[in-house]
Amino acid sequence: MAILVDKNTRVLVQGATGRQGAYHTLKMLEYDVAVAGGVSPGKGGQQVHGVPIFDTVAQAKKNADVNAAMILVPPAGVLTAAMEAIENRIELIVVVTEFVPFHDTLKIRAAAAAQNVRVIGPNTVGIISPGKSKVGIMPGFIYSQGNVGMISRSGTLTHEIASNLTYRKMGQSTCICIGGDAVKGTDFVDALKLFRSDPETETVVMAGEIGGAGEEMAAEYIRKEGYPKRVIAFVAGATAPPEKRMGHAGAIISGGFGSAQSKLSLFERAGVMVARGLDEILEKIME
Amino acid sequence: MKLFEFEGKSLFKKTGIPVPEGDVAVSAEEAGAIADRIGFPVVLKSQILGGGRGKAGGIFFAKNQEDVSREAEKLFGMTIAEEAVKKILVEEKIAIASEFYMGITLDLKVGLPVLMVSDRGGVDIESVAEEAPQALHRVHLDPDKTLRLYHAVDLISKTGLTGKVLTSASGVLLKLVECYFRYEAMTAEINPLIIDADSRVLAADSKFEIDDSARFRQPEVNAFVREKAAPDPLEAEAIEAGVSYVRMAGGSIGLISGGAGLGMASMDMIKNHGGEPANFLDLSGNATPERTAAALKVVLKTPGVEGVLVNLFGGINNCEQMAKGIAQVVDELKPAQAIAVKMRGHSQEEGWEILEKRKIPIVKYGTTEEAVVMLLDTMKKKGTG
Repeated sequence: MAILVDKNTRVLVQGATGRQGAYHTLKMLEYDVAVAGGVSPGKGGQQVHGVPIFDTVAQAKKNADVNAAMILVPPAGVLTAAMEAIENRIELIVVVTEFVPFHDTLKIRAAAAAQNVRVIGPNTVGIISPGKSKVGIMPGFIYSQGNVGMISRSGTLTHEIASNLTYRKMGQSTCICIGGDAVKGTDFVDALKLFRSDPETETVVMAGEIGGAGEEMAAEYIRKEGYPKRVIAFVAGATAPPEKRMGHAGAIISGGFGSAQSKLSLFERAGVMVARGLDEILEKIME
Repeated sequence: MKLFEFEGKSLFKKTGIPVPEGDVAVSAEEAGAIADRIGFPVVLKSQILGGGRGKAGGIFFAKNQEDVSREAEKLFGMTIAEEAVKKILVEEKIAIASEFYMGITLDLKVGLPVLMVSDRGGVDIESVAEEAPQALHRVHLDPDKTLRLYHAVDLISKTGLTGKVLTSASGVLLKLVECYFRYEAMTAEINPLIIDADSRVLAADSKFEIDDSARFRQPEVNAFVREKAAPDPLEAEAIEAGVSYVRMAGGSIGLISGGAGLGMASMDMIKNHGGEPANFLDLSGNATPERTAAALKVVLKTPGVEGVLVNLFGGINNCEQMAKGIAQVVDELKPAQAIAVKMRGHSQEEGWEILEKRKIPIVKYGTTEEAVVMLLDTMKKKGTG
């Protein structure tokens, strides 16, 4: 099991002929991911590391049997690329690109909901089910297969926590980076719902950040509905000054709202184990 | 990007939202000339991006030229919440009959824009939401559906407005929604919306925050001139290098991180071990040797920095490239400060080798906590920790 990606995942890379697109196509192939095609308008018929390139998503779907898309195009091209994937009913669409205009993300979210497909991101490193597959740009070798599920807003925190787990022989079922923007295709609650019924996942680690309301909604969801698995929450930014945007578009404490302290106390009230530092996540899992 | 009131009002005007007659002045003489043109009484409004202008005395009503020259001089000498007043908006004074609020912002809980109206205009809307939530009427905006006049009338009528002003205010609301989408705002607000003695509906103030990620296709917004925001030359240098940098007063430990989450977690860890972070710096994607070097230089120059924690991942970036940038700075500047690096991911072996050659302490498989402890130890040995 695991969630969203596994050995049956067949990936289409939108923007595969770009520098980043080609590099991460190769990295996915090295991880044994079934990269079945790429899309770059005007470059149909070419190949990138042996992967066939198509002019449109529709052509790729018809000829390469893809069921997931990774979007690695510049910000101005994301809306079109995502709409194309959504209209072609690609089930899982991962938007890696950072600095996507948030009005575009609003449109992408609405369209994905209408077509019943899942969007992850934007501004994400993607999703990986270690040892099975990945749709993303994470270095695969720092992840390992096991029973810890992870949901994180930050790409490098996903890597950091996963590698710490891996070096201590604790593997992961699926790690999903939901992205650092204020508006996201998939939020904490959506991911929690997916992990809920995954038999491979025993523990869920949530790595949040200051700003936004995703952690608050997750705490409310767990408090109201209960959760059958152990959940450990960490929130980065306890020392961040208010009203300053900390790198991510969504990471800002505004009007006293969205501080690490308030998020953590809501998690505690919901019965979630709270880790006050990165290393405490490991200690809590080993408890 | 936040807009000044006069800038926001120029967007209102273009969209057809009525605003009081007026113009912006950069000197007391100009303010006087504008007042002459529009006729007394006028209001002088200092233009700042932050809030709290009214309470700080940044608004003045002038009956004649003497008032204008005296008060304009005073306003131009003011600093409100660390923001120097450089421009004054001179406007006709409105005979206020009633004040309303209308605004659009992102509802973080549902991930949709929310349109809000209230009859409690002219006050901070967060306090209305807290103290009198029943006076705040809300409706979410579906980006796929057009808001129609009847939706607007339905919402505005909840504020108690009726008759001609109800339809005028509803028209303004539709235009505000138009502004929000056209200029790709994160927030667009009219507070207060004024109904004057002649039943005119006017936007007496404007508040806009435009999504920076959309500015590449917002020429009208980009036409607004900003003096290079460099109250701090190091912040300017960081902007130049394309990295996200926030300075913290009184800290002694500089930080370079790959990724915002790891950066914040590193700051928290430094604090947990009794250290004081001096800055936040997110290298973000596309970390070439040049950008990494520029970032390290900014951190080394940050006042008070006695040690630097470099906590990076080769995810979208590549460890070898980033190590080259660090090495370049170490070779060139031979910094006196302690540096500790934790780095892994794509091309980690190559990156480690570059750093090991220069005897820079590295954490390879360990945690951020180990890297922080290592840095603090090195600083102690150097006698700076």
